[in-house]
Amino acid sequence: MSLLQAILIGLVMGAVFGFTLEKSRVFEPGMIVGQMQFRNFIMLKVFLTAVATGAVVIAALHGFGLVKLGPKATFYAADVIGGLMLGAGIALAGACPGTVLAQVGVGYRDAIFTLLGGLAGAAVFGYAEPALKPLLFASGPGKITFMDLTGLSYPVLALGLAVVLVGVLVALEVWRPWRTDLGRDVDGDLGPTR
Amino acid sequence: MSLPSSFPSATHPTATGGILHALRVKAWSPYAAGILIGLLQVPAFLLIETALGASSSYVTVGGLLASLVDPMAGRIDYVAKHIALTPKNWWQVALVVGIALGAFASMRISGARRHAISPVWQRALGTSSPVMRYALAFGAGFLMLFGARIADGCTSGHGLSGMAQMAVSSTLAVTFMFVGGIATALLVLRRI
Repeated sequence: MSLLQAILIGLVMGAVFGFTLEKSRVFEPGMIVGQMQFRNFIMLKVFLTAVATGAVVIAALHGFGLVKLGPKATFYAADVIGGLMLGAGIALAGACPGTVLAQVGVGYRDAIFTLLGGLAGAAVFGYAEPALKPLLFASGPGKITFMDLTGLSYPVLALGLAVVLVGVLVALEVWRPWRTDLGRDVDGDLGPTR
Repeated sequence: MSLPSSFPSATHPTATGGILHALRVKAWSPYAAGILIGLLQVPAFLLIETALGASSSYVTVGGLLASLVDPMAGRIDYVAKHIALTPKNWWQVALVVGIALGAFASMRISGARRHAISPVWQRALGTSSPVMRYALAFGAGFLMLFGARIADGCTSGHGLSGMAQMAVSSTLAVTFMFVGGIATALLVLRRI
């Protein structure tokens, strides 16, 4: 895989990703903030469907011996603190690191500032990483998975997760059909809270 | 009773017509979109030997920009590793650039044009000042990426990919991402 090939594949995959994010409306600030305020459930539906699909296809590829898994290492404090900061940033940005690019693409002007802030945050983290390393990334259990914790195999857990998620999604959809969450201008804006 | 003249073509749509219609509509079902996004793991794993992710591309671009201004930045191991001309690093940068292009194309085809700032922000922030929104967006972006790099992943890398691979780190990070997001949206923002 040459660098140029990787870039071309990335552009094509990104274009499909971005097209789909736009069609799903999940990139809308109204969807993200609405989800975090429990007014709107489209974000959770897209997210859980993508996780379930990913689990099934990665389990299939893994079953055929085509891929090896790459779980990230667990560092308890880093996962908790980083997760909290990421979540707070997502609520205030009305975007996550991937969907902010979709916002830029459709012309949301504030997303340009989110993007610049993100680049600054990543660069400052780069400077801070050597100092944070002994505090946050020094000791941990390593790249542990639920296979290690339960003794079950990956296909069993991945397909089990997919089945549970499909059940959750069916229940969510029965409770709240997705079209009712689209809002006035397919932006998740459901009007002022009654 | 006579049927509308468009009746036969409406009941017998061609495959091409169906696809064109799907490209032109403003919204897809979240399930169709989620399945398509999940399927993107296949080329990611098979062609790039990695999983979907977005936040490390910010270190690649942000770190490269920093190293142009300050050559010392490029000597930090973490930054050097991310700005190296490897297929994985630059595949992810291309992926996020592609996201902007794909979203732009979809918006142009469907005509779902947006205001400069989503109308929900006026209610969430209690002000319609663009400067306030831009300042908050910059700070939010900073917090989001600083947090994602501490956690070593974001909604894509930990959420979509790590959870599908049954990683403990990802499940923990995503749980606290929602805790942080919900707490902030309920306590800091006004109800939209």
